[in-house]
Amino acid sequence: MLTGHRSSEDAPHGADGAHSLQAQRQNHYRRLFWRFVLLTTVCSLVPLLAVGWGINLYYTRFARERMINAFRNEVAHHRRIIELFLKERSSKLQLIAGTIPRDQLVDPARLNEVFEMINREYWSITDLGVIDADGRHLAYVGPYDLMDKNYAATFWFKAVMDKGLYISDMFLGFRQEPHFIIAVSRRDPDGRHWILRATIDTEAFRSLVENVRIGQTGEVYLISQDGHFQTSPRRWGKIMGSSPVPVEEFHEGIRVRTTDPHALNGHRMPRQIMSQTWLDQPRWMLVVQQDQAEALRDVRLANLAVLAFLHMAALSILAAAVLITRHMIGVIRRRDAQADQLNRQLMQTSKMASIGELSAGVAHEINNPLAIIGTECQLIRDQADHTPALDAEMAAQIEASVTQIDVQIQRCKRITTNLLRFSRRTRSMIETVDLNAFIREVIELMEREARSSGIKFFAELDDALPPLLSDPSQLQQVFLNLITNAIDAHDDKPYGSITIGTRDCPAEEGIRLTVSDSGCGIAPEALEKIFDPFFTTKPVGRGTGLGLSICFAIVRRLGGGIDVASRPGQGTTFTLFLPYRPPDEVLENIDARPPDPGPAVLAAKEARHERPAHPAGG
Amino acid sequence: MSALRILLVDDETIFARNMSKLLAFRGYQVKAVHNGQSGIAELEQTPYDVMVLDLKMPGMDGLATLREVKKLGLFTETLILTGHGSIDSALEAVKLGAYDYLTKPCQIEELVAKIQAAGRGGEGDVN
Repeated sequence: MLTGHRSSEDAPHGADGAHSLQAQRQNHYRRLFWRFVLLTTVCSLVPLLAVGWGINLYYTRFARERMINAFRNEVAHHRRIIELFLKERSSKLQLIAGTIPRDQLVDPARLNEVFEMINREYWSITDLGVIDADGRHLAYVGPYDLMDKNYAATFWFKAVMDKGLYISDMFLGFRQEPHFIIAVSRRDPDGRHWILRATIDTEAFRSLVENVRIGQTGEVYLISQDGHFQTSPRRWGKIMGSSPVPVEEFHEGIRVRTTDPHALNGHRMPRQIMSQTWLDQPRWMLVVQQDQAEALRDVRLANLAVLAFLHMAALSILAAAVLITRHMIGVIRRRDAQADQLNRQLMQTSKMASIGELSAGVAHEINNPLAIIGTECQLIRDQADHTPALDAEMAAQIEASVTQIDVQIQRCKRITTNLLRFSRRTRSMIETVDLNAFIREVIELMEREARSSGIKFFAELDDALPPLLSDPSQLQQVFLNLITNAIDAHDDKPYGSITIGTRDCPAEEGIRLTVSDSGCGIAPEALEKIFDPFFTTKPVGRGTGLGLSICFAIVRRLGGGIDVASRPGQGTTFTLFLPYRPPDEVLENIDARPPDPGPAVLAAKEARHERPAHPAGG
Repeated sequence: MSALRILLVDDETIFARNMSKLLAFRGYQVKAVHNGQSGIAELEQTPYDVMVLDLKMPGMDGLATLREVKKLGLFTETLILTGHGSIDSALEAVKLGAYDYLTKPCQIEELVAKIQAAGRGGEGDVN
């Protein structure tokens, strides 16, 4: 519904104040928008990130532990395999030395038999020899020509003589090839001391150790106590080469650690996961290692998935926050606009009410002195008329002055009458009004008045307009005021047009009526005050500034609203909303009070004259 | 036709005095009083053709005076002359039997015309 507020269609031409207010508002909403978005996003993202980060951390640790355990198992498993392999060979040699007499073993055929027996299930030794206490070969089976070699000076010879069983590190020996031996010594009952020595097949042993594949980068190798490779690592170093891996003190159990990328004595290598354990016999360190990146690839993929998920969630939260906030700001903006409108309406209404009270009082108080001035004036006139001796010039002057005083009294009276009309309490004669017909009549009336002004009238009337319950005399006053203003707006234009339109608005249960002119328009700052009493832009003496206030008061009283929009220099449009029927209190009042003054007075007078003679007079 | 007797009831003494002079000048017999009670007292003593009555007066206001006049059966035609623009009270007065109403400030000719009409009406009634 329309209310009494003013709006300027003309923002670009608007006053600076209105401009900056608009900008300030816009800024306010923008700040509000971003604050909401930030708040919503932070409030949703922080818990999401916390949960996501927590889960990720937990999972990473869990996966890492599992991976390390898998490594531990891997190295334990390998150690078992290698130890089992060596133990089996050692046991076999011990068994052979213990059960087959030396005299039989020195027989090459018998030794060959034994050699083949050992290698029957699994090719594992290259050669087999029997050596006496002086280090000389008593018998030998194998591919090398070693019968004439004397081992008395070798490191292993002494060790096996002392310990009874000896497994050597890799060495080159007489054959100048990396190999290692298992040797057992035996002292016969007759006091003869001899040694059974087997060379483990290097290829068989290496494949046992090295052919274990762990991913693409994983590998397994052995390092002797003095820091030499016992097998060939795939990527770095060679068998019997010096190992860059620091050799730890002997320890029980399995250690798992992560290396720094450059920690391996200058070997550039990605960060490694390294698991180490010591074999019991011989003292070799078994190392299982793998690029950490590969080992943790699944974890990293999972991390990436979580990260992607978090990003997606964050993005959708952000989008949701923006959308929801935009919607909310829209709602707030509409609410604000409604509240503003309501406020303006309230302010205007209360302003009108207080001005109404004031003007009624002022009008009354002024009428009495005016009446006295009028009588004084008349007295002078009477006196002058009856003073024959009065100088003609003097008489003329008195007449002119007195006449002028009368004119001014009438002018004052017009003002006070309008004021009283503006403040007049509800008084309506409600009838069914055909608004279109009514407007045509008003136009006809005004066209005659405006004939000389070059203004054309147009009616754009909605033929489907329902009849209206309203007060025709008050409506007439409203239209006359509006049209008079519209005509006056063309003062400095040679021609123009005034268009009156009607439109049915069933949704609002009322009729919308527009009065548009092509006149000079209204400046935005004037637009603010246009319905205020005594506000006028017309020259002094031409307007009282009450016309639109009265329109406003009447339309409000009839339950409608009035609105104005203007473009300076191009014209003004007043839009009226009139409900199909006035508010109930107006309808109630017409029953309780006498109808419209004019006809009522006449009716009362007629009734009185028809009365029989007054009792007192009779 | 003898001069109409007019009773002026108005609390504005200057207005009442001026109006008396103006009406007397126009050949009426005028008496001015300044409140309702005096007006009624005057009417009880002397018959008047027309009473010109102000509505807004201290003490007994115009409407009360009119009611009292009607109650007492005092004969006079009543013209309401008031600065109080409220049509409500003027209408109320007409309903109570006032002949017509005028708002201040008014032209003397206007008032004289109404007085003449009221006087004639009264005479008509009497006759």
